[in-house]
Amino acid sequence: LLTADGIPTLVAPVLASSSLGGQKTTSTFVLDQPRCVFTNVSKDTVIWLVVADPSAVPDFNNSLEPGGPGREFQQFLNSTFAYMTLNTTVLNYPCPKNPGDITVLRVGSETHCAKDKKRPTCNGPLPGPGPYQVKFLALNGSKPVAQTAWSEPITLRTAQPSGNIPVPGSGHSAGMIALTSILSILFAILLAGLVAMLLWGSDASSGSSTFSKPEAVTVRRYNTHHVYDQPAARL
Amino acid sequence: MAKSDDGIRILQGLLVFGNVVIGMCGIALTAECIFFVSDPHGLYPLLEATENDDIYAAAWIGIFVGFALFALSILGIVAVIKSNRTLLLVYIILMLITYAFEMASCITAATQRDFLTPNLFLKQMLERYNKSEADNNNDKWMTEGVTKTWDKLMLQNQCCGVHGASDWQDYTSAFRRTHSDADYPWPRNCCIMNAQGSPINLDGCKLGVPGYYNSNGCYDAISGPMNTHAWGVAWFGFAILCWTFFVLLGTMFYWSRVEY
Repeated sequence: LLTADGIPTLVAPVLASSSLGGQKTTSTFVLDQPRCVFTNVSKDTVIWLVVADPSAVPDFNNSLEPGGPGREFQQFLNSTFAYMTLNTTVLNYPCPKNPGDITVLRVGSETHCAKDKKRPTCNGPLPGPGPYQVKFLALNGSKPVAQTAWSEPITLRTAQPSGNIPVPGSGHSAGMIALTSILSILFAILLAGLVAMLLWGSDASSGSSTFSKPEAVTVRRYNTHHVYDQPAARL
Repeated sequence: MAKSDDGIRILQGLLVFGNVVIGMCGIALTAECIFFVSDPHGLYPLLEATENDDIYAAAWIGIFVGFALFALSILGIVAVIKSNRTLLLVYIILMLITYAFEMASCITAATQRDFLTPNLFLKQMLERYNKSEADNNNDKWMTEGVTKTWDKLMLQNQCCGVHGASDWQDYTSAFRRTHSDADYPWPRNCCIMNAQGSPINLDGCKLGVPGYYNSNGCYDAISGPMNTHAWGVAWFGFAILCWTFFVLLGTMFYWSRVEY
């Protein structure tokens, strides 16, 4: 498939596996490296990543200089609607890739140059949730020699305000209701028992089942008359 | 008379036994509540920041109630053996007061447990973790407590956020205001650390490669100890109170049968 400037269009970039927790964050996303894609280019070709707002996709000009006027990252979504970054030689994307290697590109990882106008090809964090479309462009010197198709629109995550998290008033669990009601009933019975005890428990002497406190009861033997002291009878 | 004497003797024996059990349970309650108040998991700052730490108040009440139960059980044993009406009445009144306090403690612990939901901790974490500007001294104290506790929690339990690491992406937070999303998709302590305390692979952690960061949430590590704490205070207290109920009823009956 040849485009207007006569260069081949290869398979589009895809997002990295969703098993990566950071596949899409609020300002970055992760693409699979274009391994085994640019197979017919010379070894000193430089592969650039183009990040564009979908409005700039239909009439994107491959010949504009990366980082030049109309392509500065720092003006992205202000006055420019596409920028180019993550340039590297095709030798850094060897084919075939080692199985088990994680070969990804993190778009938006460079924060230190995000505001530096002297670095218009900075791989800075994206300014909003998007959507964005990306493609790879192979340049030999300043001449485009190959490109991939545009990716599907990529929309980043949006963070909800934390103030919106609902914290409902405590619903009462069944256990707590059971515990409260049973304890209240028991306490009420005890208080009633105390009142009953004080009012009616004092006339205990009438009941035959009362018992006396164990007291030491002593019976003293005493003689009513001194019969033994009488002298012998005087008969 | 001999038959009812036997019956009274049995009641005396039962009351003494009941009081012995109350005494031992009182000691156990005191020990359990001291354990909870000592906060072995270091979660107290999180509760303090919710401004609703009644679960700890319930445990404090439990300490004193347990001790009171022990002292009163001894009084009860003496009173039953001596069959002294005054002592028995004092015992019953004091026991009822202790009963009321323990009831308050149980109900507070059970009610507060229902208040501690995942969303409560999520909101607190997002609004306080690494918050840089503080409104006043109290706010600063609570923020520091929450930040230190979460750092320790994420490190020791190998977890991140309340539901997972995506909490930091799904919601705005005080952390996000000072740490850019590209540099810190989630806090540094969510990365798996080596023995020296630095991430084994910082890029892997930022990318979210499984094995270099903790994606699971910390809610289990928080709710486990809190549940144990709340149920320990509430339901053990409930069991003691049920037993005490019967002992008190028996003591009231005994009192009404003692001749003055």
